[in-house]
Amino acid sequence: MRILTSALAGAAFAGLAAAPLPAGAKDTGLIFVSNEKTNNLIILDPKTLKVVKDLKVSRRPRDMHFNAEHTLLYVACGDDDVIDVIDVATLAVVSKIATGASPETFAIDEKRRRIYVSNEEGSSLSVIDIDKGITIHEVPTGAEPEGVYVHEDGKSVYVTSEVSDLVHLVDPDSGAVLQDVVVGTRPRRFAATPDGRELWVTTELSGEVWIIDRAKFTASGKIDFLPPGMRKTDVTPVGIAMTKDGKTAFVTLGHASHIAFVDVASRKTLGYALVGKRSWGITLSKDEKTLYVANGLGDDVTIVDVASRKAITSVPAGRIPWGVVIDE
Amino acid sequence: MNKMTRGIWIAAAILAGVSARAQAQAPAPAPAPVKPFPIAYVEIDGDPRYEPLRVFERLVLKTRDRPFAGAQAGIEDAAPLKRVTGADFQLRRMTLKKAEEMAPEVIRAIDSGVAFFLIDAPAEAFRALAAAVKGREVLLFNISAPEDWLRRDLCSAEIIHAMPSRAQLMDGLVQYFVFRKWRDYLVLQGPSPEDAEVTAAFLRSAKKFGARIAAHQKFITGSDPRQRESNNPALLSAIGKDWDVTFVADSAFDFARDVSYRTVRARPVAGAIDLEPAAWHWTWEHNGAPQVNSHFGKITGGRKMESADWAARTAVKIIVQSALRSRSLDFETQRGFILGPGVFDGDKGLAMSVRPWDHQLRQAILLAAPYSVIASAPMEGFLHRLNELDTLGDDEAETPCKLSR
Repeated sequence: MRILTSALAGAAFAGLAAAPLPAGAKDTGLIFVSNEKTNNLIILDPKTLKVVKDLKVSRRPRDMHFNAEHTLLYVACGDDDVIDVIDVATLAVVSKIATGASPETFAIDEKRRRIYVSNEEGSSLSVIDIDKGITIHEVPTGAEPEGVYVHEDGKSVYVTSEVSDLVHLVDPDSGAVLQDVVVGTRPRRFAATPDGRELWVTTELSGEVWIIDRAKFTASGKIDFLPPGMRKTDVTPVGIAMTKDGKTAFVTLGHASHIAFVDVASRKTLGYALVGKRSWGITLSKDEKTLYVANGLGDDVTIVDVASRKAITSVPAGRIPWGVVIDE
Repeated sequence: MNKMTRGIWIAAAILAGVSARAQAQAPAPAPAPVKPFPIAYVEIDGDPRYEPLRVFERLVLKTRDRPFAGAQAGIEDAAPLKRVTGADFQLRRMTLKKAEEMAPEVIRAIDSGVAFFLIDAPAEAFRALAAAVKGREVLLFNISAPEDWLRRDLCSAEIIHAMPSRAQLMDGLVQYFVFRKWRDYLVLQGPSPEDAEVTAAFLRSAKKFGARIAAHQKFITGSDPRQRESNNPALLSAIGKDWDVTFVADSAFDFARDVSYRTVRARPVAGAIDLEPAAWHWTWEHNGAPQVNSHFGKITGGRKMESADWAARTAVKIIVQSALRSRSLDFETQRGFILGPGVFDGDKGLAMSVRPWDHQLRQAILLAAPYSVIASAPMEGFLHRLNELDTLGDDEAETPCKLSR
């Protein structure tokens, strides 16, 4: 499968300058980078890391997610209050879904066909029916909601409020906040352990990752970071990813220009890798060998080898890259 | 029951049903009863600091708005915290007819149960106020007076300075110049006492960071040719040697407008114009600032957020955080949290805290050009053994105020 993927991707790169990908192409390996200030997605060839396409989207594209079949890519566009829907085969925007004010991150519940999106300026979480494109609930949250996580069973949704220092537990059916838990300052994004017990949340200003016990819905611990030679005040964790086995977590440290490798069970930091300026978005490749880090103030993406914990290379993106996703 | 009230009643019933269902699904601990938590906002009618700055009657350069909307922004941000804090934070605006009413009115409010105040008043008004509240269970947040003497000499245990001091502002500015290796300054000082204070703070900062004063000139505003040595920027800057930056102290904001492009050498201007050290600027776009600015714009109908607005918002935020983080609405506990090692987010990156010796809020200083924040001090390379924010303003050994002792 991986050989096929590479072959397809190579073919894609060779052919794309002139013609779009054949319809129905899958697992292209293409790397999508959203750029907040240039209103585009830079699409990179996985082998050559050259730009395959510079796709204009609605203004201020940020979080991106594929549907289960990877035929569609959803992109939250903060300044136009929409989620753009991109056809992965043709690399064209095919529709738009209206959201609340300034959508930032979102999660998709495929089973219930819903999107949960945080509206940064609307102080709300929109619950959207994907197929109808209509908002079912608009849940009031604390100011500047950001990270969204929906549990596999679809029964609980979590959202952070950056200003209120809260993680809200939302009932997706009633559209009501059921409970709040206070975490560190400026909570941003989530990762969940595969056993469903813990929710990890980055807290940007207090420079930590807070761990929430999902059953009790209380904070059960926190992790500090300090890469060698960096100042504590520059440690501003935002992005977080976790391996499928739940053993290792990866945290971008913002202005400290590093990512941290964390052993999930012991909650100990295993090491750091140098990345670019103000690293936020982080994505782990499907084979879990490579990390892609969006450097918001470096206008580039750093590619990190997981095994050696070293940056392999950095490639230019647009202005203020927000996040990276890979079609694989 | 008319149609409309029935509609509301039905809506309320539906809401009640929804919340009952939500409770059944995931039983939450019974929330504490929410009680009102008043924060008083005290200002003086006719405060001259809010007179518009004019060239002529009909030509307004700056409107100079009161920072009340900043406090409102802080209160709006606190609304989602009702559930967890058990407090419904409310602003109580007290607009006094004159400065002399401030001390007795604040005492009356304390007696009615208010413990936290935002004070928007000229520095002079703090003298009587500090004396009146001495020893009371109260914290007053200074949201607009930057005078160094308030911190150094008045030195009140009941006052917290959310507004940066002149020392902090000027240290930020000079740090930036030294970072650029611009070490020689032409200082142009205006005639007002405020200009003298600002100049003194600048000279102190220059000395602190090893910079030099190429010349220190006093200007007067006007066009009298007999006084041209004092009112003409070209003649004032013909100092017989080179310099790097022209620093202007001009609280009247009149002469300062005519300095750029009128000196004998092409040197950048800073201080009252062009590059100004500030607590906040509407073009700051890091650390969540775009959301702060846009929220403020919504409240004010598009006004641009300024330093005192930020200080008011931050003061409310600190009060709210003290309730949230200490899990208490007890005054002593909250006060202990605010003056303790706890850190606050000011949307300027570096975590803020209150200096125990003079109750000045540690904070980054933004160096603002008209349409861009050029840098945020402390600058890289200015180190401190404990907290880099203490490279700005009075460190413990630099002030006679010893509230921590």
